Amino acid sequence: MSTFVVQTSHLTKRYGDHIAVKDLSLNVEKGEVFGFLGHNGAGKTTTIHMLTTLLKPTSGTALVCGKSITTDSLEARRHIGYVPENVRLYDTMSARSNLRFFAKLSGVEDADRRIDETLEFLDCRDLAPRLVGSFSKGLRQRIGLAQAILHRPDVLFLDEPTSGLDPMGIKTLRDLIVRLNREFRTTIFMNTHLISEISRTCTSIGVLNQGELVFRDTIEKVTARYGSESSLEELYLSVTPVQTQGAA
Amino acid sequence: MRELIQPVLTIAGKDIRDALKDRFILLMTAFLLVASLVALTVAAIALKADVATYIEAKAGLIALGKDAASIPDPAFYPLKLLRGFVEHVEIIGAIIGILIGYRAAASERGRQTLALIVTRPIAQWQFLAGKVLAGTAIISAGLIIAFIVAGIAVTVISGVALSVDDIGRLAIVMSAAGLYAVAFFLLGFVCALWARKLPNALLLAFTVWLSFVLIAPQIGDTLDPDNQVAGGVFKQLQIAKPQQIEILQSFSTYETIRNGIEVASPTKHFERLSFAVLGIKDTYAGQPLMPILAEKSSDLVWLLAIALALSLLLFVRRLDPNRLSKE
Repeated sequence: MSTFVVQTSHLTKRYGDHIAVKDLSLNVEKGEVFGFLGHNGAGKTTTIHMLTTLLKPTSGTALVCGKSITTDSLEARRHIGYVPENVRLYDTMSARSNLRFFAKLSGVEDADRRIDETLEFLDCRDLAPRLVGSFSKGLRQRIGLAQAILHRPDVLFLDEPTSGLDPMGIKTLRDLIVRLNREFRTTIFMNTHLISEISRTCTSIGVLNQGELVFRDTIEKVTARYGSESSLEELYLSVTPVQTQGAA
Repeated sequence: MRELIQPVLTIAGKDIRDALKDRFILLMTAFLLVASLVALTVAAIALKADVATYIEAKAGLIALGKDAASIPDPAFYPLKLLRGFVEHVEIIGAIIGILIGYRAAASERGRQTLALIVTRPIAQWQFLAGKVLAGTAIISAGLIIAFIVAGIAVTVISGVALSVDDIGRLAIVMSAAGLYAVAFFLLGFVCALWARKLPNALLLAFTVWLSFVLIAPQIGDTLDPDNQVAGGVFKQLQIAKPQQIEILQSFSTYETIRNGIEVASPTKHFERLSFAVLGIKDTYAGQPLMPILAEKSSDLVWLLAIALALSLLLFVRRLDPNRLSKE
């Protein structure tokens, strides 16, 4: 049986003449923390939108936990957790009400017990009765993460998860992602344009440039080959030449 | 079956709780109630003046030696007082419908929660059905309150208790009002779900509202030859209905165009049905309900067809992820 949680083959998304994602063939193994690196507009979010079944690919195929994102999207979604960039949730509802809503939609039995467990895991049980509207961005992101893991998905898609957070918030979230991966064996597929995020959180890396996958390897091998974080930066700049020369 | 219905009810329940916290929607509903009560009061004052005139005339006739028993009692139709109320429902009800529909999608887009919902293991139709169910429930609750208040106000103002037949007529008009407002809810929802930018959605929905609620019926009314004299040309000239039809046959093309503009408006269909059922239009006052319903069934079918067409538009199109957030 395949150990790949995400499998794409020649996945392509076009908007008229513009190719947002081109011929993407990528496998992510169970238990990996995969960092998807690329400039703004490289096609990372479009890829996540396709893998979370939000967007229909123009051509190619993609499987999430063996389920096709196009022909079996409902089943694929049962295995998915998703945290978009800058998630806000329902301001006028408490954290618990927000989570109860998403738990019900995900078909979680005994939602309240699961919510307590999840908040406990994220070290934020005290947030449950408070209105989400009163939360800082960091706390909001944490509840956003909670809604995505309530049903214990096999794979969690995170789109720029630390965007706009303060250094403390970034560290807390990174630690949570690593713990989530270790304790629940959740595969993480994380979009980012921050190299530091990749080097501190991920076990493997893919670099997308203008819709094309230009690099894919494990962090272990990359570090062995290139050494420090600054070398990882040089590697990234070397595989994304067009954008580094100032092209949009 | 439970698996299919549960997500629909979950989404509807959340939306209803959310709308009840929305001060703007509550304010608009309160405005509809206040405006309706003002309209009823104005109608009551006019009625009181008519009654005073009648009493004065009757006293004059008796003083002239006429037998009191031979003076006929005035025909009084309390539901006629609801004319202003129906007109407020036409305009404000449509606005409330659009706002609730817009809010149903815009609030999710603004919070980025739409993407979270549609990546849950639920079908698109379940999400949309939940939203439509919530919108329908909110609109129905508002209309039920408005019609109960209007019914009580009519009873109190006129001093005449509503008969079972009157209550039945009110219930029919309330149902038609619900269908009418739900059509505008669907319009607001579709626009807010599909527009690239949210303010454009509101602009588009209100352009449609302006065209079909205000302009089209106004054009139709202005062009109506019978409306050229206050009280109606035919009535003033005491021309009977058969002659009226004969005269209008000479203007058949003109009348087809004029009527075409009018029937393009759901507002006009709602108005024609309501004015006939409540007896606001003199021709229908005191007439039995069933023949009126038979005659006006096409207006009800039009309202239903508009709501169904918008529902179809909503349910067949796949949600575009580029429209899942605010911009």
